[in-house]
Amino acid sequence: MNLKRVWTLIRAEILHGPKDVVLAMAVVMPILMALLVNLAFGNIFTQRAELGIYDRGESAIVEILAKSESVSLRYYENETDLKQAAAAGAVDMGIVLPQDFDASLPFGKIKFEAYVWGESLAKNREVIPIVLTDAVRTLTGSELPVNIEAVALGDEESVPWSSRLVPLVILMGIFYGGLMIPSSAIIHEKQRRTIEALNVTPTTVGDIFLSKGIISVTLATFMGIVTLILSGALSGPIPLIILVLFLGAIMATEIGLIVGAFVNDINSLFAVLKAGGIFLFGPALIYMFPQIPSWVGYIFPTYYVVRPIVDLSISGVSFSEVLVYLSVLVILVILGAVLLVAVVRRLSTRALRLGS
Amino acid sequence: MKPRTIKALLKKDMALFIGNRFYLFITILGLVVYALVYFIMPSELDERLSLAMYAPVVPPAFEQLAVGGIDVEYFESEDSLRDSVISGEFDVGVALPPDIMDIWAEGGKPGITVFYASTAAPEITETTTLLIKELSYLQTGQALHFDAKTEILGPDLLGEQITLRDRMRPMLVILILLTEIMTLAGLIAAEIQKGTARALLVTPMRTSDLFLAKGILGVGMAMAQAALFMAIVGGFGYQPLIILTTLFVGSIFVVGTGFLIASIVRDVNAVTGWGLLVLILFAIPGIGAVIPGLLAEWAKVIPSYYLVDTINKVANYGVGWAGIASNLGIMSGITLIIVIGGLLALRRRFQ
Repeated sequence: MNLKRVWTLIRAEILHGPKDVVLAMAVVMPILMALLVNLAFGNIFTQRAELGIYDRGESAIVEILAKSESVSLRYYENETDLKQAAAAGAVDMGIVLPQDFDASLPFGKIKFEAYVWGESLAKNREVIPIVLTDAVRTLTGSELPVNIEAVALGDEESVPWSSRLVPLVILMGIFYGGLMIPSSAIIHEKQRRTIEALNVTPTTVGDIFLSKGIISVTLATFMGIVTLILSGALSGPIPLIILVLFLGAIMATEIGLIVGAFVNDINSLFAVLKAGGIFLFGPALIYMFPQIPSWVGYIFPTYYVVRPIVDLSISGVSFSEVLVYLSVLVILVILGAVLLVAVVRRLSTRALRLGS
Repeated sequence: MKPRTIKALLKKDMALFIGNRFYLFITILGLVVYALVYFIMPSELDERLSLAMYAPVVPPAFEQLAVGGIDVEYFESEDSLRDSVISGEFDVGVALPPDIMDIWAEGGKPGITVFYASTAAPEITETTTLLIKELSYLQTGQALHFDAKTEILGPDLLGEQITLRDRMRPMLVILILLTEIMTLAGLIAAEIQKGTARALLVTPMRTSDLFLAKGILGVGMAMAQAALFMAIVGGFGYQPLIILTTLFVGSIFVVGTGFLIASIVRDVNAVTGWGLLVLILFAIPGIGAVIPGLLAEWAKVIPSYYLVDTINKVANYGVGWAGIASNLGIMSGITLIIVIGGLLALRRRFQ
């Protein structure tokens, strides 16, 4: 291996390599996904009941309801919109407050109209009236007949859904570029037979793979950082998080190079991604759906990339607490490197045979 | 049109597909993975609130808990209640004092402890606290009386709600169909790139024969995978004929889109990029089926909306022909336009 040759290959790849849709997708897709998650999907997976409200007057209860942790409040400008939202399932219940809602409360009259989505869960149908009742009591200044003490048990913190979607964004940031770029670049070289052309020069197959790998690791690490920033999740021990992103980028690149070595065309690459995508993005599903037992995560290699990042940036744990996951990640990266070296040797031997 | 030529082309493409054991294996594996995603999702809905309670004396108002949408499990001691929360069996536990009724009778305020797992979502803790507050008001004779006019919109599925995995079914089957856009576009783009398409056209075979053969192959591949998936996940429980018809229209739609993409890309690499963009756009209505109310009206301009909506209505709500006729009509019309557009664009590319 000659570092000067590797650098020449890197320069050539950057300046003259394919600037195709795969490259654009590797950069654009994670950014789009991060923005989408942050702007649109942040709050849709909570267990809160969805309450729609159309206030004919200017009731003070709306402000009280807006502060409730138990419901997500949506405002509507007219009854038709509210009814449509309840019919479509955008809200579990939509209520229309009459103009004199607040004025009639001192007389013990609590009057309103409610539209209930036929598919709303029993617990949501139970929760919304309780929240409404509590808001009315707050408004009327009722004295609570009990003293309630809330005691938290355990050390871990609850992770909101906006944070649970971060793993998906991280994986897309790292693996889109880290896997697609080197695999498609190798396939590109194979299809254009430029690898064979390079073989007649002092350049080795290892040099080619290394140059593509360096570009890919750099891009994937950068995209990982960008997506974390866009998701508002780059906090905590930043150098350590970047180290995990870097190791994840190496893992993605190793997989990309190995896949690129065995696959001969983009169709087959796509087929591999189609079937193998679940193994890459599986941990994201585990974070999204808590119903899936957490031990399932341990079977996915990418879990050891996501877990330390989420723990460090969102849960705020210390280095020692992620050391086990980090160690497994390092072992996986080393195993990937060993496998990649074997693949490169096999390809080099084949190239030598072809050359002779 | 020459049936013999088409048959020969189909035989060639099928032989290539089956001959490529790797590709065949990956296709089957992909299908298995989609089915696994479905089966890994919970088969039941967590429809009711679960609450752990330690109550040496249960106030009459608190007995109403079991009547509503709340499952209450009583514990023998406060320690066992705490253990159930710590172990994760329950998110929240409520401990009532033994003399609760006496304190209320004397006009005092009893102390109630709400234990919650630190990992519990804040809404669960707050809801439980509100519930306890309200029951206390009820018990002390301070009930509020609502004069609410309530209307249930749509079929009332209380107790029979659709599980998350069944909501995901239309999205997954659409994804299976849509990925075939890239497979077909890739096949055609490869033929154009390698020049085999032009080579074939110097034989007595006509362009229409080539297109028809590719179309039949695309429809067959997409339809077979989608139908197999629906069979595995129980998607033919209601109106299997409607589901099959919808999948068939969807498969033709996929072929038309594949033709369109193949006609605009320069090489096979670009198929992946364009294909993914189209796939993401067409998959949006699928997400809408998983999360009701998410999509705005504009989503109806995405053609796949009518496919997803039809499969969702039939497989999850048991709607019949009358309920989906307009969807199927619109989808057939869009499919016809896309197929004609795809054929014309591809023909131009070949010439």
